[in-house]
Parts: sequence; C-alpha cells; structure tokens
Amino acid sequence: MNLYLFQVVNGIGLGMIYFLISVGLSIIFGLLNFVNFAHGAFYLLGAYLSYTAVSITGNYWLALIIAPLCIAFFAWVCERTLIKRVYHLPHMYQILVTLGVALIIQELCISIWGPIGKSISPPDSLKGVIAIGEFYYPQYRLFVIAFAAVVALLVWYLLDKTKFGALVRAGSEDAETVSLLGTHTHRLFSITFALGVGLAGLAGVLAAPIKGIHPFVGPEVLGIAFVVVVIGGMGSFTGALVGGLLVGIVQSVMSTLWPQGASLMIYAAMALVILVRPYGLFGRA
Amino acid sequence: MIKKYLKNTALVFSIAAASCVVMAQEEAVTIYGVKSLSGSFASYGKYADMGSKLAVEQYGQVLGKTPSYMSIDTEGNAGKALRKVQEAINQNSAKFFNGGTLSSTSLAIGKEINKSGGVFITPAGADELTGVDCNTSTFRWSVPTYGAIRETVVPLLKEHPEKKRWYTITPQYVFGEALLSNAKAVFDELGIEHVGNSYHSLQEQEFSGYVTNAMAAKPDVLLLLNFGSQSSNALRQAINFGLKNQMTILVTWSSGLEQFQELGADITENVYFGAQYWHTVDTPLNNKLVKEVKDTYGITPNYPLAADYISTKLLLDAIVEAGTTTPSDVIKVLEGKSYEGPTGTEIVRAADHQVLKNYYLLKGKSPSEMKNADDFAEIVSYGKSFPDESSLECKGM
Repeated sequence: MNLYLFQVVNGIGLGMIYFLISVGLSIIFGLLNFVNFAHGAFYLLGAYLSYTAVSITGNYWLALIIAPLCIAFFAWVCERTLIKRVYHLPHMYQILVTLGVALIIQELCISIWGPIGKSISPPDSLKGVIAIGEFYYPQYRLFVIAFAAVVALLVWYLLDKTKFGALVRAGSEDAETVSLLGTHTHRLFSITFALGVGLAGLAGVLAAPIKGIHPFVGPEVLGIAFVVVVIGGMGSFTGALVGGLLVGIVQSVMSTLWPQGASLMIYAAMALVILVRPYGLFGRA
Repeated sequence: MIKKYLKNTALVFSIAAASCVVMAQEEAVTIYGVKSLSGSFASYGKYADMGSKLAVEQYGQVLGKTPSYMSIDTEGNAGKALRKVQEAINQNSAKFFNGGTLSSTSLAIGKEINKSGGVFITPAGADELTGVDCNTSTFRWSVPTYGAIRETVVPLLKEHPEKKRWYTITPQYVFGEALLSNAKAVFDELGIEHVGNSYHSLQEQEFSGYVTNAMAAKPDVLLLLNFGSQSSNALRQAINFGLKNQMTILVTWSSGLEQFQELGADITENVYFGAQYWHTVDTPLNNKLVKEVKDTYGITPNYPLAADYISTKLLLDAIVEAGTTTPSDVIKVLEGKSYEGPTGTEIVRAADHQVLKNYYLLKGKSPSEMKNADDFAEIVSYGKSFPDESSLECKGM
C-alpha cells in the first residue's frame, strides 16, 4: 500500500478519536449554548477512572462501561449544583466557572494518582496488529474506529430520531415555551450536559491505551476539541464528525509531507475554514 | 623569653579572634531551588525539589550555621522563573541556586544569576549552557547531547553490529537538533545508514504519522531523539503499531525511572534507553542516596531527585571548602573539583563548567525478570564521552 494512502487510513482512525473527544463539547454548546472549558478535564478524569478500574479488576471492558457512567453522573451533580446557575449569564462567566472546575479536577487527579503519568494496555484480544499491504495497523485502533462509528450512530439517533432529542432541540431554541408545554427543561438540560460530558469521559477511556494518561493532558484535548468544533460548526453533530476526520487526515498526511508542520496545519485548516465559512462547515449563523 | 611568649600568644589570639569575626559575619546559607512545582512539568519538579530538600536537611552545619532551602516555582515557564529569580536576588540577596530543569528556564536564569554574581548548578539538557551561552556562574551536571548519543548509539551497535539502517524521530528545536547532529556524526563514523528522519513540533503528542514514516523506511533501529512525555507517547504509539517486533528501539534521552513507571514494563521490555542516572548503580554515594531516599520518602530515587540532590550537595560542599559565602570564591572551588557523585567519581571541568560523569545505556526487562517494582531495566553499558577541551564552544569563562 502507498504510504500516503496508509496515512489517510491512519488519519481516519485519528479522526474518529477526535470526533469522540469533540462531539460532547459540540452537543453542550449547540443545545445548551454553554461553553464548557472543563471538557478536557472530564476527558482526563475518565481516563484516570479507567486506569483505576483496570488496576482493580484487570478488565478493560468493565472500565469502558463504568468510567463514562461515573463521569456522566459526576457531570450531572456538577450541573445541578453549579453549572445551571450560570446558564443565563454571558459566556465569559461560563468560561470562568468551567475553567475553575477544570483546575480543581486536574489538581484532584494529581493528588489522587500522583504527578507521574499512567499507562493502560489494550485488552489482550486487541493487542496485536493487522497487516495492510506492507504496513501494520493496531487492532485496538481499528476497534476504536468501529466503536466510535457505533457511538456516532447512537448519538445521532438519540438526538435526531427520539422524543428526547426533539425536546432537547426545541428546548435549546425556546426553553420557556417547551417548559409551558409541560416539559421539565432543567432536567432535560442536566441530562444533555451529563451526556456530553459522559462522551468526553468515554473518549478518555478509549484514548488511554493509545495516548497514555497524564495529568496535564486536559488543555491539549480541549484545544483539539475546539479546533474540530470550529471547523465542523458549533453545535453540529455532523460537523463534529466531519471536522474530526478532516483534522485527523490532515495531521496524518502532513506527518509525511511536512512533518514539522503537521500540528500547525490543523490550525491552518481551521483558519481557512473560518475565512471561507465563519460558522464552520455545518454551522448555522 | 616571657616577652616572646606573650607576643606569640597575642598573635594566636588575634588570629583566632579575627577568624571568629569572619565566621560571625558569614550569613546562614540559603539554597534557592528553581523547580517547576506546578504546570506541565510538575511531575519533574516535585522530585527535583525532594532531592534538594533532602541534601540541605541532612547536610548539617555550613560555616557554623544551619543551611536553609527555599523553593521557587517556575510554573514550567521561563519568563515567570526569571521574574521570581530576580525577586529573590533583589529582595533576599539570593546567591546560590540550583534546578531549572527546562533548558529555556536554565538559560534565562543562568544569565540573570551571572549578572548578579551568584552561583547556579543545573541538570538542564541544552548544550548552550556549557557551550556558546556559558558563563562564570553556571555549572551543568547532566551529560551533554554529544555524550548521550555516543554512550547509547556506539554500545548498541557493538551489541548488534548487523543493525546498520537507522531512522530518527526528532523534535524541531535546539535540543533535538543537537541530538540529531551528534547522531549523524556518529552514523558517519560507524558506517550507519541514516534511512530517514521525521521532525515534529515541540507541542506534538500524536506520533502515529511519524511512526508510519519509520515503518515505511524499514530501518533496523528506530532512534527517538525526543524527551519527556513526547518520547513516552512516541514509544507507546510505536509499540502499538508493532514496531518492537520489526526493529530495535532506542530512546536516547530518557527521564529514567519516572518514565519506566509511567510506561510500565509491558512497553519498556527490550527497548533501549539512555539515562543520566539509574538507581542500581553501585557507587558509595548512590547506595547511601538510595537508602536515605527510601528511609525519608519511601520511594526509589529517580533522575530529577538524584540530579538536584547532588547539585545541591555539590554547592554546599563548595561553600564549606571555600570557607565563605562569597560566590567568586565558591566558583573557584567548584572549577576542577573532583568528588564522589551518584555515578561514581565526577569532575567539574573548569573550561566550560561541565560535570564529567557517566551516561548509561539501559535495556528494559520483561515483567517476569523484575525483582521488585522498580527493577525495570538492566545496565548494558556506561561511560564518559565529552567533547575535547580544544573543540569547546564556551568562550565566556
């Protein structure tokens, strides 16, 4: 197989991880009009919880279920006690509050798990590589691609095809009217926030065997998530998917074409999209 | 006779009295530890701080007074470090500094400390510290990139003479470029074919693209020239892609035990690592250090802890030997000083203020070979390689 073609394949794998990282951020911004700067920190917490779960049980699959649920529950508690108080305030206050939450989570992780990073091995059944022509691709990354595709389908179905999704979308347009029609909008928003953050936790668990776990990874993850969301369009589910894939492929192919500029090109792509389509590829004005 | 006796007695008393006055005038020594205690490099700074503290606490009296230690948190930021060091110099008349692990921090504060006439010992990686940017006040404990490459590439090739095709992954900044140019020189010397290199940026954490480039070049050895979390991520992803089964991997500038603990033995098994320090080195000072760190902190010393421990101890030893806290006198003592360090006998070269010490090539053990939780690697070889005095770039002494 041609090197560039393989880099495209690798970029798709990378892009699916970026999609998982950013879709929660996009949902929370698009549906709640809330800027969550703690998104990277929730990703981090998900990764650390999975480390603990794997250390105790030795079972990665259990960690994959438990950790995102714990993160979603934690996010729900956060939303009920803190976040809901700043929904109606300007974005600057939301950023301040969520940055504070992010710092608390980061320092909490250092206190509990220590400053040295951690690693998780992929499950034994996914430890090998498969040959694609003269190249090798990790089985675990293939699993992540497939898993992320299933998650994408489920999230799309939930938001586009169910009553819950319709209510959330309606609530994001006019919360007062939806509330007058008998829907508990606060509860709806809590669930949406927990869902978005739970997806960040899920991304943390899935990415841990690939990228390791380090207490300062939160801001890096947040940066990537924002790039994907800006490229795809704030609040667009399709945008998060396309944006994630675009970023992954650009980064991977540029690793061969111009290695030292691979990271830079992600931001160049974002700048280009902003110039051509200020609201992102799938965003609405 | 009586007159002569009285004269001699008076002379002895006046010398003793003068000495007492001088001793009384020497203030208590404070060592300022410049460490990244928060921010992205806090994992490193925490252990470095423990090393300096331990050295000061167990030292006893220095010039008749108990020395003290004060941390300066750089927050992993050279600008903030510089401002805080300036404050310490201006407000506390600080003279003796150690730490500053990040090269950018060390270069910045080294110049400032030199301007104020202090003394600074650092374990930072930048060759400029004892090269083009050397100065009277700055001393460096860690082996430069020249030695790190020679003490890893040469012995690895001796062990595997058939491995003649090497691929490099390099961070594109001064430190990476220095490692790469030294590696290329050794490749030419030993007839190694350099089949390719992938540069990456200083912020990069995703290495699958570079790993793919390496796979396509089909080398015998993958040489990772990055450091810290970048080398951990590059190695982790290289192993994810099955490169360990296709080629030998060498991480030429590891951060030692801390990196092994982060990665785990599943990843480090059979991988080669270059290291400034390893806790199983059998030297009197290292054996003592390992015991004291275990007794005090309940852990095995790692590189940042050992490096900042010995830097602090060396500084205190020099002050005691100089018999004064005047920095210029302490610098004179340090220049050419030979002492027992954690890696054996170490010498401070006067020409560039570089400490001449061993660098180690380690090989990761399998989990079943480990005798205890920190027994991650065996020492394959070690030695001292430094540029000749005639070829030094340091002209500032």
